[in-house]
Amino acid sequence: MKKLLKHISPLAPDDSGACSVLYEMGGITVICDAGGCAGNVCGFDEPRWFLKRSALFSAGLRDMDAILGRDELLVKKLALITEQVDARFTAIVGTPVPAVIATDMKALERMSEKKTGLPCLAFRTDGTRLYDYGEEMAYYRLFERFAQDKLPVKKGKLGVLGVTPLNTGKTVSTAFREALLAQGWDEVVCFGMDSGLDEVVRAGECEKLLVVAPSGIKTAELLTQRFGTPYEAGYPSGSGLNMPSDDAVKATCGLRGSRVLILHQQFFANALREKYETLAGCKVDVASFFMMHDEYRREDDIHLTEEYELTDLAENGGYDIIVADEFFKRALGKFSGKLFPRPHFAVSGKIL
Amino acid sequence: MTEAFYITAAELAKLSPDSLPRELDSGKHMIYSSPATLDFNSPGAKGFGVKRAGLAIPGSVMLLIAPGCCGRNTQLLNELGYSERFFYLMLDDTDIVTGRYVSKIPEACEELLSELDCTPSVIMLCVTCVDALLGTDMERVCRACFDRTGVKAAPAYMYALTREKRLPPMGLIRKSVYSLLERRKRISNECAVLGFFSALDDGCELYSLLQSAGIKKIHELGRCKTYEEYQAISRSNFSIVLNSEARAAAQDMQERLGIPFIELTRMFRLDKIANQYRLLGQAIGAALDDSAYRADTEQVIAGFKAKYGALTLAVGESLNADSFELALALTEYGFRVAEIYGTVGERNFVFVKRLAEVSPETKIYSNLSPTMMNYKPAPEVDAAIGADACYYHAGKPGVEFNGEAQPFGYRGVTALFGELDKALQGGRGK
Repeated sequence: MKKLLKHISPLAPDDSGACSVLYEMGGITVICDAGGCAGNVCGFDEPRWFLKRSALFSAGLRDMDAILGRDELLVKKLALITEQVDARFTAIVGTPVPAVIATDMKALERMSEKKTGLPCLAFRTDGTRLYDYGEEMAYYRLFERFAQDKLPVKKGKLGVLGVTPLNTGKTVSTAFREALLAQGWDEVVCFGMDSGLDEVVRAGECEKLLVVAPSGIKTAELLTQRFGTPYEAGYPSGSGLNMPSDDAVKATCGLRGSRVLILHQQFFANALREKYETLAGCKVDVASFFMMHDEYRREDDIHLTEEYELTDLAENGGYDIIVADEFFKRALGKFSGKLFPRPHFAVSGKIL
Repeated sequence: MTEAFYITAAELAKLSPDSLPRELDSGKHMIYSSPATLDFNSPGAKGFGVKRAGLAIPGSVMLLIAPGCCGRNTQLLNELGYSERFFYLMLDDTDIVTGRYVSKIPEACEELLSELDCTPSVIMLCVTCVDALLGTDMERVCRACFDRTGVKAAPAYMYALTREKRLPPMGLIRKSVYSLLERRKRISNECAVLGFFSALDDGCELYSLLQSAGIKKIHELGRCKTYEEYQAISRSNFSIVLNSEARAAAQDMQERLGIPFIELTRMFRLDKIANQYRLLGQAIGAALDDSAYRADTEQVIAGFKAKYGALTLAVGESLNADSFELALALTEYGFRVAEIYGTVGERNFVFVKRLAEVSPETKIYSNLSPTMMNYKPAPEVDAAIGADACYYHAGKPGVEFNGEAQPFGYRGVTALFGELDKALQGGRGK
């Protein structure tokens, strides 16, 4: 049956993705919910909640607020909070509640801006889609609204899109920056991780952009259009980046000629594929429940939408090895090959 | 940035539950999901929220019918061994507007049954804010599932939107988990203890006191290992309700099964505990002699106080107690409560008033206030009680006092002081 999960639990949703991008941007983020969605974000999908402070709140909607569509009350509460917490913008993240009652998020945005005097971004997430959809939307709106034109390009400055805990399992950018500085860059900025709105404003300074997850591509295209900044999709190798070392891949004996399925976010999976192909001579396919851009997808790669599709692929795809978050193990049915665990936070909620 | 809002007990006592300051009224401000109190905003995540509570019936499974975001943190329950009892029917954006998924629920039940090695006792159908707004008739859906599969189905309403209603989600789920009980012949020397999803602390004197009154069998949901043991709850001659959230369940059992109930409250003041046992004795027609338990408890408190002196404490609300009643009890025992992190309402305002008389300077904070982002812990606090208070006073001795074995009566008091003693001797309690 479609949409029935019998072996796995739900993957990170779109509202978590939007919040993840906004988390370190220095705004006030309000999850437009009754409380449960904010609890899911803060208590599960946002590992930085216990490490880095962020003005992330629940609207605390009650049934009559929803039934009567009390947008004014929401805006009033938002205005109150801007008096209590310093912020440069506000953001309202949608959940199933505003989706069911068809809240006009655009109107909320305008009402909030008028009342608080701060820029407001409202996101039409509804908790039914996956995290990358929310991330893509949040990146795009942030850069569209705040990135400043006509800044001189700083040679040697690399901007990285897609570094969120959900994509990478990291809560700080150190490992990414170290790996990329070692490649010869002078300055590396991971937008939204250990960097805030100022770096978004100065995005035009970057000589180049690296996009480490599909959720960043749309924004990279925007920045290319606006500033002429070139971008590349990829995932660096380095200590603590979830990527097995070359030696580890080579040491995985008996791989030559093996058929391997990698299940992860597309750009991480592609980078891993390259390793298994070049170092171990494997034939590798990539599959993902998340966004897959055609430009970075091979013919045999598979976009999954249902749990049973994964079971079918594992049982009948002819793979010797599956590289995936261990959480998927229960959904692999009668797969008799080896499972090489490779955590993905948006799947299992395990940080690296 | 605004400093964390607080009000002293003396100032608060001059007001009423209807005229609370804005920061103490969660309907008037955004809600801060403080790391200290995540379980408030995420009722499915920690302890017994709706999802875990719905599986309290032995042999049950749950189908969560919701957008993915509502079931995301269920992974935390997988770690507690529930992974094979949860199933999900995921809703998409069209579903949540049209409600078209409702007709597919019986089919989903049928398919999940085909995955199981044995037939479950019941399929709990967990629904969320979406169905609260769409007004889904879950009784009808449950009947349709039973008609299709032959297995009972019961609703679990995870309606965060109705948290402040007369019958909130945790009251509704208690009603649901007892709703499958079938009428049986009542046995005069058996009773049920309602209120919690886990059992009372094994050492609780309530067991001995009831036994001394001739009760041979005390039924508790948290001790039921099989569906038959669960059904045996219906044999109870009366129920004792220890948590007001179980009142609706007890009323339902009274109407459907003819089991009357008596309501007690978890208290930490010895005279109130004694008074409750006296009233319980009167209600069941037996004199309950609690004098030895009381004397032992008085000795424990005196010993603790002699050892540590008049400590200054911070009391939170993520714990197995009412923050204000516990703070009052501690103050009456001679300790100083510097700060309370709690939710004030009609139910506990009486404790605030009394607290204002004995400790007017006690500061009362609301965990839910956005200003708590800027909270700075009071340096004079010697020890913290409650998971939230421990979070705020990291580094100080503290006891979370929110374990699954439920404290009650004198045993609750001695357990608290025992844990505090351990924490103060070194290492943080649980």
